[in-house]
Amino acid sequence: MAKTKILNKRRNSIRSIRKITRTMELISTASYRRAMERAVSSGAYTKRLTKMVRHLAATGAEISHPLLIPHPTEEKVALLVLTSNRGLCGGYNSSLVRAAQARWHELSDKDSSIKVPQVELQVSGKRGISFFTFRKILMAATYTQFEDKPTWAEVEEIAEQFLERYLTGDLDRLEIVYMKFESLSKQTVAHEILLPLSEIGSGDSDEPEKHSTETMYDFIPSAESILSEVVPASFKMKLFNCFLDSAVSEQIARMVAMKAATENADSMIKTLTMAVNRARQGQITGELTELIGGVEALK
Amino acid sequence: MEMKCIVVTPERTILDKPATFVSLPLFDGEIGIAWNHSPLIGRLGTGELCIKNEQQSESYFISQGFVEVYQNVITLLTGHAIPASEITQDSADAARHAAEIKPKNSLVEVELRNAALLKAQAMQRIVKKGKK
Repeated sequence: MAKTKILNKRRNSIRSIRKITRTMELISTASYRRAMERAVSSGAYTKRLTKMVRHLAATGAEISHPLLIPHPTEEKVALLVLTSNRGLCGGYNSSLVRAAQARWHELSDKDSSIKVPQVELQVSGKRGISFFTFRKILMAATYTQFEDKPTWAEVEEIAEQFLERYLTGDLDRLEIVYMKFESLSKQTVAHEILLPLSEIGSGDSDEPEKHSTETMYDFIPSAESILSEVVPASFKMKLFNCFLDSAVSEQIARMVAMKAATENADSMIKTLTMAVNRARQGQITGELTELIGGVEALK
Repeated sequence: MEMKCIVVTPERTILDKPATFVSLPLFDGEIGIAWNHSPLIGRLGTGELCIKNEQQSESYFISQGFVEVYQNVITLLTGHAIPASEITQDSADAARHAAEIKPKNSLVEVELRNAALLKAQAMQRIVKKGKK
């Protein structure tokens, strides 16, 4: 009797957990679609920016901008880590913080070959923040406002800060660790250097060149001046893309994790149902034997 | 004689419409673009983007970015594009106030303050125009 009751209780609790994981799977599927849509629609901007840079470059304009030039001594390095605010997304956060921590040690350990005097850690997402708080690693800035829909305005604000600090010499290098979205089945932890910018308007636009580069464009004010404006815009776009990528990857990770959890719950319910039935059967058999035994005794 | 006007922000493509005439703010003043305009790449300023076609005219508030005109396609890349109808007197006044109380201790701060002021003034102009 007692055994059946316990088994039933377990089965019921697993059923309700299954309901939760199933719902979360559906929710993350929906937010994945939304995040993906945002990532795709932001691609239009990148593409057009790239195209414009190509047209500008075709005029022979020199691209020289303080953001493209590495500082002679790299003393202050910022490491930005993008994690998620919520858990239950499999290995998403743990692989990110592992990579970030490794990089942080590389930069700050005394006996490391690439040690820099000043490293500051900036973390976005509650998961990463609590990880580094627990490790007692000091963070210079934390952000928790980025959910599954990072907005341009929010990202731009952060980008502006980095730009200003880089230009005034308060920052020599900006590195970012985030989950790069490659395809639905593949997301990898990426570690990139955002500042100094390596190139502008990178990004593959597969569109064949429609018009020859000999087109005479009027440049207002001048090709150089426009290029110097394109550089910060390109940096902001890069940062924004990182945020969009990590939002998409997070939802995918959650989708996969919740799908696995639901499947596990299913198989557990199956085994438990079998155990419950067996226990019930055993109990009935026991009761019957007792009854028959009693009747026999009365005779 | 219809041109195409495309407005793209980092988040999405806001507008993709035929137009007969487009006026937009460049960094040093307004420019009007009509059919068969010569190829152009320019830096945008802050102000009103006005798109006219046969049926209607639409107006947006834009600030910073780039414009490319090529073969009667006008492409605007901008960080902010808000329909003019969404800008109210209150929001424009609030922006103005926020810009006015910004610090002006260093050269950089003064520059930032001026940029914010210009933006707020452009917003106020659009509101005023909408009222007429």
